[in-house]
This record gives sequence, structure tokens and C-alpha cells, in this order.
Amino acid sequence: MLIGIDVGGTTTDAVLIGNGEVYSTAKVATEPQNLLISLLTALDAVSGEIPPERIKRVVFSTTVITNLIAEGKTDHVALLLIPGPGLNPASYNFPDSFFLKGAMDYRGREIQALDEAEVRENVSRIRDLGFLRAAVVSKFGQRNPDHEFRVAEILEEMHPECKVELGHRVSGKLNFPRRVASTMFASATKEKYRAFVAEIKKALAERDIKAPVYILKADGGTLPLEKSTEFPVETIFSGPAASTIGALALTPEGQTSVVVDIGGTTTDLALILSGKPLMASRGAKLDAFLTQVRAFAVRSIAVGGDSAVRVAEAGEGKRTITVGPDRAGPAYCMGGPEPTPTDALRVLGLIEIGDPGRAKEAVASIASRIAKTESKDEGKDEGKDAGKDEDRLGADIEAEYDYDTRAETETACRIVDIATEMIASAVREMFLEWEQEPAYRIWEVLQKKKERPENVVGVGGGARGLIAGVAEKLNARPLIPEHAEVGNAIGAAVARPTLTLNLRIDTEQKVYSVAEEGEILSLNTTDISNFNKMRSEDAEALAAKLLRERAERFGISEYAGEAEITHSEVFNVVKGWLTAGRLFDVNMQIPAGLIPEWKRREKA
Amino acid sequence: MKFGFGKIKDALKGVAEKEEREKEDEEEKREREISEAREVKEKMSESEQGPGTIEELNMEAKEPVKLNEPGSGPEPLAPADRTKAEKTGLIFFPAFDWAISPTHPEREERLLYTRDQIFEEGLMDLPQIAEYTPRLAGYKDIARVHFCVPDIKAQATTPHLIAAGSCLVLADALMVGEVKNAFALVRPPGHHAMTVAHGNRGFCNINNEAILVEYLRRKYGIRRIAIVDTDVHHGDGTQEIFYNDPDVLFISFHQDGRTLYPGSGFMNELGGPKALARTINIPLPPGTPDEGILYVLDSLVLPILRDFKPELVLNSAGQDNHYTDPLANMRFSAQGYARLNEKLAPDMAVLEGGYAIQSALPYVNTGIILAMAGLDYSCVREPDYTPGMFVQASRDRKVLDEIVATQLENWKNRDFLVEETVKGLGDFYHRKKQIFYDTDMIQEFQDETIKMCPDCQGYVTIDSHAHRSINDTRVFGVSVPIYACKNCQAEAREEYKKRIRDPVYEHVYLQDKKADEYRAYDMRTKKETVY
Ligand SMILES: [Zn+2]
Ligand SMILES: [Zn+2]
Ligand SMILES: [Zn+2]
Repeated sequence: MLIGIDVGGTTTDAVLIGNGEVYSTAKVATEPQNLLISLLTALDAVSGEIPPERIKRVVFSTTVITNLIAEGKTDHVALLLIPGPGLNPASYNFPDSFFLKGAMDYRGREIQALDEAEVRENVSRIRDLGFLRAAVVSKFGQRNPDHEFRVAEILEEMHPECKVELGHRVSGKLNFPRRVASTMFASATKEKYRAFVAEIKKALAERDIKAPVYILKADGGTLPLEKSTEFPVETIFSGPAASTIGALALTPEGQTSVVVDIGGTTTDLALILSGKPLMASRGAKLDAFLTQVRAFAVRSIAVGGDSAVRVAEAGEGKRTITVGPDRAGPAYCMGGPEPTPTDALRVLGLIEIGDPGRAKEAVASIASRIAKTESKDEGKDEGKDAGKDEDRLGADIEAEYDYDTRAETETACRIVDIATEMIASAVREMFLEWEQEPAYRIWEVLQKKKERPENVVGVGGGARGLIAGVAEKLNARPLIPEHAEVGNAIGAAVARPTLTLNLRIDTEQKVYSVAEEGEILSLNTTDISNFNKMRSEDAEALAAKLLRERAERFGISEYAGEAEITHSEVFNVVKGWLTAGRLFDVNMQIPAGLIPEWKRREKA
Repeated sequence: MKFGFGKIKDALKGVAEKEEREKEDEEEKREREISEAREVKEKMSESEQGPGTIEELNMEAKEPVKLNEPGSGPEPLAPADRTKAEKTGLIFFPAFDWAISPTHPEREERLLYTRDQIFEEGLMDLPQIAEYTPRLAGYKDIARVHFCVPDIKAQATTPHLIAAGSCLVLADALMVGEVKNAFALVRPPGHHAMTVAHGNRGFCNINNEAILVEYLRRKYGIRRIAIVDTDVHHGDGTQEIFYNDPDVLFISFHQDGRTLYPGSGFMNELGGPKALARTINIPLPPGTPDEGILYVLDSLVLPILRDFKPELVLNSAGQDNHYTDPLANMRFSAQGYARLNEKLAPDMAVLEGGYAIQSALPYVNTGIILAMAGLDYSCVREPDYTPGMFVQASRDRKVLDEIVATQLENWKNRDFLVEETVKGLGDFYHRKKQIFYDTDMIQEFQDETIKMCPDCQGYVTIDSHAHRSINDTRVFGVSVPIYACKNCQAEAREEYKKRIRDPVYEHVYLQDKKADEYRAYDMRTKKETVY
């Protein structure tokens, strides 16, 4: 049996899957102060009745890293940065930065040596300031990490208790500022994350669960718990990733869908294009920083089932209804202080929760105020002060109780229309943005990206009644799969591992490197004999071989066959009208997907 | 060195007359060769063609083309207020899958290291930068500028359409007020491409800046535009396209044409009779460093621009003035380029040449992007650069002083020059030109006439003869400026109708920018294409 648990911001959801079928589900409130308790409560709730040896796989998705960062509870990190020529490093907004001389160029050639005296000076300052963690990042360090290595050596020698993280090990992609942020977060969260993992392991041991345990990454892939301590930042945003994989698992294969997770105050959106979740092109944004963490392209908009619905002046004596962005409390029909989209849905009979009388009252109050466009003094401070509104609501209701039901239905429709239009236009923008992604090659410009959603998939527990409206606006099919309320936990349970490999070969310098591994190796160690005659196929074969080896090290060999080449390019390096060498870049990945246990079941 | 009024007049007339004499004999001989060649070619293509030929031949007897009353084209859109725009629009289109040939300077690798540098800098993430995605320019956008032989498809291949289209995407972003300025970091380049496009000249087939200018005029009603060509080579294509247009000020910096391709761009090339001193050439001595170029910018270019008051300034931004460029001999640095763009503050920059792909381009492009975005570029420098490594030779400084003085004088006297020159001319101004296409080895001879109209800048006709090693082509084009008078428009259209009956031409073109209507007539197939 498989267990999936998603520790979300408000609830922790868990699911137990057996024979590709949902066996039991659980939903418990998340205790932000103690995520471990929430996680274990949910685990116990779904697994309590089955013997532990029947559990074959456990996958968590957790907000632990996100919370650490949001609450500023991460460890202080000294950033030793080697920026070289380019943007003035003074313009970076990284904390605790120490800039060092030295530079590499885009091909990893040293263009300025390190100033060792300067390095030592800075290391002793870092030591004196009490830093116990340091991140060393050099521009083009992924093309030549020698400067990062040397600084690490000096740190080790002068300040041995300091834990050091090197930029080229965290990410091999181009983008120095994002690499600095990613390395900083990797260093800042490592210890606390490790402690969290240790606690999980202890708790699982107590429950006699011996099944392999995985953690879900932001790119929708699973990572063995043990291995994850090396890459803690990759687990940020795994909540939306869980929902997206859940939607993937619960919708027909190969289709294009928008995944809509409507919560209390926000709605999270993700896209599945022809069966593949769309990735953020350069990486996730974390706190105030852009990182290189691979993540799904998710968008969060400030509208949800509990968003406050108000009447605002639109000028020229006209008034409009506004939805959100804030939440005054639960829906009025659930005992809350103000009207919400949930009340409108209740009035229209699109949902069954809450008190229908209160829902009617809430909508009627909006209907009456939107109708009374003449009385100006009333509208003045409306929609501004939630507390005041609460008092007025009661009074209004009495005065306007006779308002005919048609006005209420119309108003409820308008509220739903506004909320669904906010969601639908955000979806349209996402598609547009995807179409507008820059193109650097002729074929990329010619390739017309024009896909529109076939399905609007509602997941999560939020206002389901809005899904149909959103789908209608997008001319798509509304889909609320069975168990959609725990779609995120299902996503965690059935997600398969992901892996990337970015190989770069420079035949002029006779070296190759794998961005994810951070070592520059001699081409002589490969079985390629004549570098000058090397073709793309040879480079791709080497990449495939390295990927298989890497998958083995991650304990996910069985998925190596799923690997695909996402990008392969070759450039001739020409010197004086002669080809001096070639540069190859081959990017491979095992993309996000579902474990075969689930797929098998779906087909049966 | 100074060109007073008399000298200019001499230059204008003299050059043309001299060329005429030299080429007369040659022309005759060529003409014979062409007609012979054409006969052979026609026979060949006839046999190649299938049954469809008969119908098309029959068409010959009828009126082959009907020209309706010209419309005035769509109303231009009003450009939006840009004062609140904060971003610099950027399109990076390195055309990683296109080369003239594998080891040609214009190859896939050209912007590879530039990509590495600007991506590693994270420039695309900066809040001051908005990255746009390219699109293809339409054939009509090309037809607004060029007479493409035999047709647009042959000259403007997909990468050319994308490079030009990128400029148009940014023009729209600029005009709707999304960005404060924009940089089209694209290839292939375009500033050597002239009105008639028989082939590739100086790595260029179609002229990106000219296509941009005509698009801005047509779509947004922009009238006065200044193009500053900062490429090390003379922007002879752009100069030729706007030579008779007083609304477009063309200023080109370049290494002296006596020492560098294309061998033009001298101070006496001042523009057509009605656009004198709207072409300003600045031939710089080889070895001119930052100091010299910035001196010319401050003392000549910027004062003229202030005076001309263009609605838009475009930088035809070549990077081959760099001290490491393999094709030229100047000593400009990344800091110099950044400073130049900061001072010039172009509304839009379009990449032209620049072939020191490792030692210059990554740094120069980073510098230009930062300068245009208003960011600190002081830390951008080439690995081997030290401030003050190049000093202006005092002898060269004197040359620069003379250039500045002469061109300022020409600029000051521009209205007088036009008046005096036009006075002495008849109804038409004739000019003979000889154009060499280095890449495609084509020798072209042109006979150009400009109507000396009292009401507008006059329509232009070009009779062009292209000689290749194996075959020759003769084409005729008529161009009606966007702000032409009705008479010129009507007369020009008559001229087109007349020429399509003249079998001496293989292709006849009408470029009616006033009506935004473009026609190309193929004499052999008797087919007309309308854009
Ligand atoms: Zn120039
Ligand atoms: Zn050039
Ligand atoms: Zn006229």
C-alpha cells in the first residue's frame, strides 16, 4: 500500500492507496508551530488500521522549508561572492555578502586570479562575526569551480567549524544571482531540515514502518528522504506540485488541463500541457529572491471561497461588486462576518454547505447596496472597513428583506461571475505567458505554441462551485475527480522520481562537466576517441550514460528508461576561419510523472 | 577638408557625371549581354513550365494589371505617453540555428558567449528589463522598404524575417508605452542592405532599421526619425534608402572608407538635393579610441540631434569599433559603448555587426543593456582592458576637429544648400550608382531619378541592372514616399503601369507608401503580386 501526505498551510491531507485505489483519506488541521505533529497525526489517521509491513512506500510533501524561510528562522550564512566583471555587485540585495576579487569567463578561463590575502582577511572577519555557515559562489563557477574550491580550502583551514556550500554544486545553470540565492538557502536550511528528517525517521521507526520514504520536490518528483538532506531547497513549493501531480493522476492521459486549487483566500493555478506539467522557465521565487530551484509554473491569485465580497464606488455614482483580496473570516453562511463567494454559491444551489438563510441574507445585503446607487453618503466608506460593515449588514438586511429573490439570484450570479472571471483571466494570462516565452532559435519562433485547456480540474477542498463557471469561461470541460479534496495527497502518493542532467562538452579544452555534479572532467576518461570528429549523437550518448549512472546513485535506476533529451545543441568554435573545437550542451531529464503502480490500475 | 557650398554642388554633380562617363561604354556592352542572356533564359524556363503557360501567355494581350484609385492606407495609431514607462524592452534573438556558412563571421556561435554572459549576469530577471519574444515580419513590412529580386521570399528568409520582426515587436512595445526604450539584440544584421535587394551585401539582405522606420511611420504616424549608425562600417544601405528623405536624419560613424569596407561614407555624401545635410557621415581615422568617438558625439552628433528634434532616435548599433574586432581597426571599449548609449539615449537600438565574439561582444552587449536600462555599468570590462590603455593621437584629434567643423557648417547651412541646389535642377534629378554585393559577387548598376516636386520630396524611380557571373537581371522600381503629394502618387503609378509593358525588365515594382500598397510584376509569368 502507498501513503501520500501533504502538509499544507491550513490542513494536512493524507491518503492510503492500495491496488491503485484510494483506500482511506484523512484531513487534519495543520499546526504551523509543529509540522511534525500534523504529519504524524495524518499518517496515523490513514495507516492506523493496517499492519506496517503492508506499507510499501511513503511520500511526504511539506512546507517545512517554506515556513522556515517565511518566518526568518533560517541560519545566518556568510556569502563569499566572486562576481568578476559585469553588473555592479553593489546592486545585489543579498545579506551578509563579502565580495572577493577573481574572475572566470564564460568558458571557464581564469581572467583574474584570486587575491588570497583578501580571502584570508574576509574569512577571519566571518569567523570574528560568528558565522558558522558560508556559501561560496563565483560567476561562471559552473564552468570552472577552482576559485570556489580554493576559498573553501582556506575556510576549512582558518575556520574549520564553518559549514561550506559551493555554488556550482547547488546549480550548474547560468544565472549568478539566482545561484547565489539558491546556495544561500541551501546553506541556511540544511541543518534544520536535517533535524526534521531525523525526527521523521525516528517517528517512522517507532511505528515500525520500514518502507522506503520519499519527499516530494517542487518539480513534482520524489527524492529518497535520506538523499533529500543534500538538496533541502528543492522541497519548497511541493504543495502545488502535489496538487498538480494529483490532477495528472486523476485526469485522462495526455490532455491539456488547468489545475485549479481554490482555497479560502487564494487560488493556486498550474498547467498540464498535453499530459506534462509546465515548469517555471528559470526557477522558483523564494521569499524576496529568485532561485534556480526547479518548480512547476504556479500562479497564486487573491481570490477564494472566503474572500470578502463588498460594494465599491466606481465613480459617476455607480457602484461595483468587489471580491477579495482580503478575507474577513469564514463565509457568512458558515457564521462569518461578511458576504463571500461561498454565500453566492450557496444561494445558487451550487454547493450544499452552510446555512441557506444566512447565505441569502449576505447576498441580499450586497444586492440592496448595489441597487441603491443614488444614496451617496452610504456608499462612501463602504467596502473599506470590515468591522463597520459587520454592523451595517444586520441593519441592511432588515430594511431590504423584501427584495425579491430574483435580485438575489442575479447578484449571486454576478458575484460568482466576478470571482470566476478573475480566475479565468489569470489562466488566460498563464497561457499567454507560456506562448510568449522567449525563443532563441528559428524553429522555436516557427513552432506555434497555441494550446488551450480541455479540462478545468478542481482539486483541494475549496469552493468547488466555482469550477464550472471557470470552465465555461475558458470553453473547457469542468472536472472534479473523485477524491479531488485530497488530490494533493494522492499526487504525493503516486509521484515518481525526477532527475535532471545537464552535460556540457568543450572539445577545444577537452573537458566535460555535468552541471548537477559540479566536476570538470577530462574527455580522455570517456570512450570517445576523436574529439574533433565528435557529433551530437556522441554527446547525447555520453549524456545518456551519465544519466543512467546518476540514476543509480539516486537509487532510481528503474526510471532511467523514462529519461528524455530536452535540449541538445552544438556550436563550432571558430578561430580565424577554422574550426578549433566544438561546444555541446545536452540537457536530459526524467520528467515528472506517475509511478507504474497507479498507471496500471488506471488502465485496468 | 571643409566643404563649402560650392564644393558640395560639385560633389553632387561631379560624382554623378564622372560615373556616367566611365560607365557609358560598359553599359552598352552589358545591355547586349543581358538581352542575349535573357533570350536563353526565357527559352529555358518556357520548356520547364507545364501546361499552365498558355493561359498566362494569353493574358499578355489583355490589360495585365488593373490599378484602382489609390487609398490612403489605414489611419495611424497615436503613440502612447512613455514618460511613465520604466523598463527597457529587450529581444535577444541569437539565431543559434543559422549561419551564412559554417566558419563565416555571421555564424551560429556569434552571440553564444553573449548569451552566456547576459544569462549568467541574470539580466533578464532585472525589474528594469522586459524580455520580449520575436515574431516574423510580414512580407508587406519588407515591401515598404525593398524591391526584392526576384521576390521577397528569395531575399528575406526566415531568420531575416525574425530579426526584422523582433524590431517591430519592440517598436510596438515602445509605442504603446510598455517600455521606455528597447534593444533588439538580433541577427542577421541589415545596415548594408539597400532599396533594391539583389542579394547579400556585407552580411545583410534586408535592412532592419529601415523596415522599423517605415513601420513606425505607417502604424504610428511618426514623421521625424534620426538614425545614428555606430557600426564601424559605413551604413551605406540605410544611407541609400533615406538619401532623399528630409524627415530621416542619418548620421554614421565609421572607420574611414579608404581603409575599410564598403569604401563609402565620405563627408561629401550629404543626401539628395532636397535632403541635403540630412545625411551626415563621420569617417574616423583608424585607431580612434573611446575618447575620440565620444568627442565627436558630444560636439557634433548631439548638437545636430538637439537641433533636428526627432520624435525618435534609433541606434544602428554595431560593435565592430571594438579594439579586438577582427574585421576593423578601431579602439573602442565596452565602457565606451555603454557611455555612448547613455549619452545618445536612443529610443531603440538594433544590433548590427561586431565579430570579436569572445573578447568583445559579451562585455559590449552587457554594457549597452545596462546603460539603456539606466543601471550601473562601471564594472563591465573586457578581461584585458585597463582604463587609459588607448590614447587619441594628436594628429587624429585634428582630423576629428575638422570633421566636426565641416559637418556643423553643412548642418547649419542645410536649408540654403537645398534651396540653391534645387534651383539649378530640372523636373527630375538623375543619379547613376554602382553597387557591389561582396557576399554574392553581384555588380549592380542603377539609374535613379527623383521628381523635383515643389509640393513634396518627390517620387523615386530606380532602373537596376544586376550582373552576375552567369546571368543578368534588369528590374524597375517606383517608390512613392509616405508623405508624397497626390500628383506625385498619380504620376508614379502611371510610371509603373507604363513599365510593366516594357519587356526589357524582368520585374517591375510599385512601392506606394502613401497608399500602403505594394506591387511586384513578374514579366515572365505575367503575374502580379500585391502586398
Ligand atoms: Zn556606421
Ligand atoms: Zn560592421
Ligand atoms: Zn509631389
